[in-house]
Amino acid sequence: MPFLSTPEPFVTLSPAPARSIRQRLLGRTRSQASVERAVLVLHDVTKVYPNGKVALEDVDLVIPEGDFVFLVGPSGAGKSTLIKLLIRDEVATHGSVVLDGQDLARLPRRHVARVRRKIGIVFQDFKLLPTKSVWENVAFALEVTGVPRKRIRPAVDRVLALVGLTAQRGQLPSQLSGGEQQRTAIARALVHDPRLIIADEPTGNLDPLISWEIIQLLLRINDLGVTVLMATHNADVVTALRKRVVALEEGRIIRDEVGGIYHRVD
Amino acid sequence: MLTFVIFSLKRAWQGFWRNAVMSIAATATMVLMLLLLAGFWILQTGLQASLDYTESKVEVVADLKDNVKDEEVEPIVERLLAMPEVTGITFVSEDEALERWRTRLAEQGEEDLSRYLDVNPLHASLEVKLAQADAYGEVVRALRAEQPVVEKVSEQQQLAENVVTVTNVLSTAGTVILVVIALIVLFIIVNTIRLAVFARAEEIEIMRLVGASDAFIRWPFVFEGAMVGLLGATITMLALWLGSEPLGEFMVGFFQVLPLTFGTLARDLLILVGGAGVGLGILGSWLSVRTYLIR
Repeated sequence: MPFLSTPEPFVTLSPAPARSIRQRLLGRTRSQASVERAVLVLHDVTKVYPNGKVALEDVDLVIPEGDFVFLVGPSGAGKSTLIKLLIRDEVATHGSVVLDGQDLARLPRRHVARVRRKIGIVFQDFKLLPTKSVWENVAFALEVTGVPRKRIRPAVDRVLALVGLTAQRGQLPSQLSGGEQQRTAIARALVHDPRLIIADEPTGNLDPLISWEIIQLLLRINDLGVTVLMATHNADVVTALRKRVVALEEGRIIRDEVGGIYHRVD
Repeated sequence: MLTFVIFSLKRAWQGFWRNAVMSIAATATMVLMLLLLAGFWILQTGLQASLDYTESKVEVVADLKDNVKDEEVEPIVERLLAMPEVTGITFVSEDEALERWRTRLAEQGEEDLSRYLDVNPLHASLEVKLAQADAYGEVVRALRAEQPVVEKVSEQQQLAENVVTVTNVLSTAGTVILVVIALIVLFIIVNTIRLAVFARAEEIEIMRLVGASDAFIRWPFVFEGAMVGLLGATITMLALWLGSEPLGEFMVGFFQVLPLTFGTLARDLLILVGGAGVGLGILGSWLSVRTYLIR
């Protein structure tokens, strides 16, 4: 069920009108059609850790289907916490995190795994299994979620072709370059046909040239209709691409602009 | 469902061999601990058996008055046999008592003193065997009640009480030690398996991130733990079987009694070692994986 299918979509979230989100959406240049279906809606999200540290405060964020969003901000600004909330590694203290129409805070534990399959995650350190080949690493994501064997082969072959690793399918991660390892991780993130790709500093360990390759790949995946949320410190990439930029600082969103650059212009 | 079981078993098998060093370390620990457990269990069983044997030796002897007729004794025997504490009664006639005395003197290499006796001074007696030494008092009371026939009940009260005390202390101490060892074994095995699981923390994290359900993460590890347990138990039983001959001799030699051999203990041992091995393997994996799943 599309989450934002009525003219008053946020009534379902909270009785209070989410003014800031709506203003942001109305101010955008994208067509209303693409806004109608949001992959991700954060409303009034606050996260306080048990030790009292406030990691996120009153965060409102809507990511429509097909968007490409950079999440920027200094270390400790709350980027990691935000990503943990999205994959339901943590639960928001207040507010709601709605992924593809499901409120993660109200999600029973046994449904968490199913919801995670709607998200593909890519990390700075790749997180590949060293004893498995490229093909096996990608297939692993399907095997451990109970996908029947006969559906695994075509799916893995397809994503490996997409990321351009068909030739390296039999190699171990240790035999690959950093860029190839990250492409393997992206293939693994894609193999479930996710609604959203979350990339946490995907170019952090890569040199500039390879970083651009990875960004190009993510853009291509975005062109195929997959929503991408990328946390990054890479100012060059953010500034050059002029995509939507959400900037966090001390747990608050201080800037959310389409066509933004890495640093705030005062 | 079948896919899931096959998947889990396959992953357990792979996991066991991919981390061969950790698996072998866990299995070796398991074998040592199971040997310890089995060893103490055998000692405890032997101890218990010899204590039972000692207890069975405790008896109440009632001397009968002279010239008591068989008809007078029989009802007493029947009444005593009806008591659950009594397992057997032997009637020793005056002549038999004299004969026993002679035999004992001969065994000790003493002169046969009975030649100097004109009449047989010994009494006929009833030797009452008890199921348990602590039933002593009641049987004594029952015998004393038979005034017309029973001359006196021999005063072995102190001996019986000592046997009861020693038996209770030893079997309680044995049980406590066995339980303590079982707990230590549990602790060590669970921790060894926990180490083996820690070595694969990254794999578990990846499984979680790609959306594997708890069952898909847990069961391969649980099967792997069961494999370690089964292998450990098999090696332990093999070792015990190989050592059963000298062990059996030691047991008969040490406890001085009882045909306690590997054969008679084998079934109980198999259940104990096999159950402890597989059970601890499963428990260890379950607890270790749980650490990662509770979030």
